[in-house]
Amino acid sequence: MEAVVPKLASFNLLNPKSKSKSAIRRFSSALCVSSSPSVTSTDSVSLGHITRPDFPILHQEVYGSKKLVYLDNAATSQKPIAVLKALQNYYEAYNSNVHRGIHFLSAKATDEYELARKKVAAFINASDSGEIVFTKNATEAINLVAYSWGLSNLKSGDEVILTVAEHHSAIVPWQLVAQKTGANLKFLNLNDDESPDLDKLKEMLSRKTKLVVIHHISNMLASILPIEEIVHWSHDVGAKVLVDACQSVPHMVVDVQGLDADFLVASSHKMCGPTGIGFLFGKSDLLSAMPPFLGGGEMISDVFLDHSTFADPPSRFEAGTPAIGEAIGLGAAIDYLSTIGMQKIHAYEMELAKYLYENLLSIPNIRIYGPKPSEHVQRAALCSFNVENIHPTDIATLLDQQYGVATRSGHHCAQPLHRYLGVNASARASLHFYNTKEDVDEFIHALNETVSFFNVFK
Amino acid sequence: MASSSISSCLRLFTTRSFLSPKPRKNLSFFYKPTSFAKNPLSKSLVAVSSSTSTSPIQPVEDLPPKLQEIVQLFQSVQEPKAKYEQLLFYGKSLKPLDTRFKTRENKVEGCVSQVWVRAYLDDQKNVVYEADSDSVLTKGLAALLVQGLSNRPVEEIVKVTPDFVVLLGLQQSLTPSRNNGFLNMLKLMQKKAVELVFESEKAGGSVEGSNLGSKNSKNLTLERKGDGVGGLESKVESSSQVGSGKNLTLEMEGDSGAGDNGSNSGGLGSRGMRIRDKLEKELRPVVLEVEDISYQHAGHAGVRGSDGETHFNVKIVSKEFEGKSLVKRHRLIYDLLQEELQNGLHALSIVARTPSEV
Repeated sequence: MEAVVPKLASFNLLNPKSKSKSAIRRFSSALCVSSSPSVTSTDSVSLGHITRPDFPILHQEVYGSKKLVYLDNAATSQKPIAVLKALQNYYEAYNSNVHRGIHFLSAKATDEYELARKKVAAFINASDSGEIVFTKNATEAINLVAYSWGLSNLKSGDEVILTVAEHHSAIVPWQLVAQKTGANLKFLNLNDDESPDLDKLKEMLSRKTKLVVIHHISNMLASILPIEEIVHWSHDVGAKVLVDACQSVPHMVVDVQGLDADFLVASSHKMCGPTGIGFLFGKSDLLSAMPPFLGGGEMISDVFLDHSTFADPPSRFEAGTPAIGEAIGLGAAIDYLSTIGMQKIHAYEMELAKYLYENLLSIPNIRIYGPKPSEHVQRAALCSFNVENIHPTDIATLLDQQYGVATRSGHHCAQPLHRYLGVNASARASLHFYNTKEDVDEFIHALNETVSFFNVFK
Repeated sequence: MASSSISSCLRLFTTRSFLSPKPRKNLSFFYKPTSFAKNPLSKSLVAVSSSTSTSPIQPVEDLPPKLQEIVQLFQSVQEPKAKYEQLLFYGKSLKPLDTRFKTRENKVEGCVSQVWVRAYLDDQKNVVYEADSDSVLTKGLAALLVQGLSNRPVEEIVKVTPDFVVLLGLQQSLTPSRNNGFLNMLKLMQKKAVELVFESEKAGGSVEGSNLGSKNSKNLTLERKGDGVGGLESKVESSSQVGSGKNLTLEMEGDSGAGDNGSNSGGLGSRGMRIRDKLEKELRPVVLEVEDISYQHAGHAGVRGSDGETHFNVKIVSKEFEGKSLVKRHRLIYDLLQEELQNGLHALSIVARTPSEV
């Protein structure tokens, strides 16, 4: 168990003040599940090998006989047993509506729900759990900022800077709000290395800029942006920053205080948690000044016929019965990830990213999008690509049918980016810490054969 | 194994030519009110939309012969990879579609890849298809449809449901989004077939109607509307744009949904007046309303170059229509207005009733 001890430091939930013995129980059960061999990785036993047993879904065959190789993690991640158990346990043992109840079950449910909120806050190093608003997903969180903060802070002539590489969820809500407020959206292009042009960003920032909406890691380009600097430049001109951390929170340490981000969003389902829950981080003073987004129960203080008064954040932005079980499931996912340690996950994935990229380059006539990895430039563990003269959908179909390799083909919710790059669609393979080098090997092998198959028919 | 399946495919190609022009004996069914009322068009379109429900799949025997052949061929090939090769081989048989046919009207909705389908009538008035796609697997699927449906009578084409794709053994190999593309491909081809045939009837000769040009033609709506008008119960809207020759927009309305056209004898230009006069003289109508709606079609390529008065709504109630099917009534009106049609009149939207039907 010695090897495990250093990990306790990253699991900052475990302090003497934490009242719940159940947290400790959960922690140790998660520990047992995830660390039967030694947790420190050796050459032969990687983090992927160690954690795979925790994910039942990965151990299956598709189309009768083909072992599943799941490489679509940027779309959604798989869930470890600990999370599945937490969900089941919630519904079996203490499901009850939160915040209002008096009885035993509802007190317990409320405790666990609020504990989950604390876990999220601790996970991203927010100063207070009141800065975490639970939403349905990251898309809803962005819409929350757009409709609540945006409508009351943007006026005609104001500018919002985004990049051409943003996910649709980061673009469309701002289009809608810009229409209503008369604000202008400005889009940052890519540089020659196919990464957002940060020099240009500095030029675009002005006193007219009120908000910068930017991804931390691009789900197509695999670029990783220096958010701390971007926030710094933005604050210099008086602009706020909304960070889309959907692809970063699951894969690396994200520290909102270190980044000084004003808003940050992420989805549970991309970080080994259940679907149906996500969160918005917002600085306390910002959230306090924001009007409600959705109206209903929970977010009110007093309700009269002709008007209502509203609760403080975060409740102000959580109308109706929340996804209680799912929030608790997210908490369990955070426990699981923290047990392993985000630094460890990040280090392993960087290895895998390099391995994936280098091997992909060996495919004839392949074009991988995004920056080239180097000493100074790191890529996330995903690659969007096209092979000359072969439609990405054809590739993805055959990879799936013939080899059981799950990848994605299409525009990955980034149509503007594809248009910018001059392609209709691309294929994408994306990894997570439970993938192994063998997964990558199988993918490359399958891709080689697939490309040959189609080339024969040219 | 691949080569043997390809050669067996080739054998099938040579022994049975799929380019067997059949005489068009079958369009007469359009003129029989009763058979039109039961027309398979609306039924099959309903079937198409519910094909994914629990209804049994369409029997193979109902498919056009070429399609039956294709189904049998795919069923004889067991291995999935060989099926793909088969599919790709079919795709290769499609000649590339000329860029000018890669229009919005020819693009199949709901496809992850880009697919275009073009349809035209050949000398024997058979519907001929061409298709193209940037994805070779989708091209293969398109090729199956092109070969299976080309040169078949339109009633046969519209009866086909996408069920047969299950029989190919490819369905589980195709993602839902690809399947939807397949369904939409089939629907588009069926729609084009119907439109081509209708408009060729109107023109009375062989017509090349490749693109659906008019922005005004929306989806083909085939609705069964039962009402007191014994006989024709379907409303079909089709339009086509032709490079040369006649442009005809045909709208047939057989139900009471005509709405308020309003009496509009004032504000008619010379052609409008001529139409009125002709119809009044020949049909002695009880009610006659002629409305110039050319402005709605301004900018429509067929209209450019003419000086207006190209599109009209006509509502006419006359005893002359008694005992005549709707199609005969419309025919009657068109015959009377032949001269106008030769000289720039593009479209008539006709509501033709007998006094007892009003």
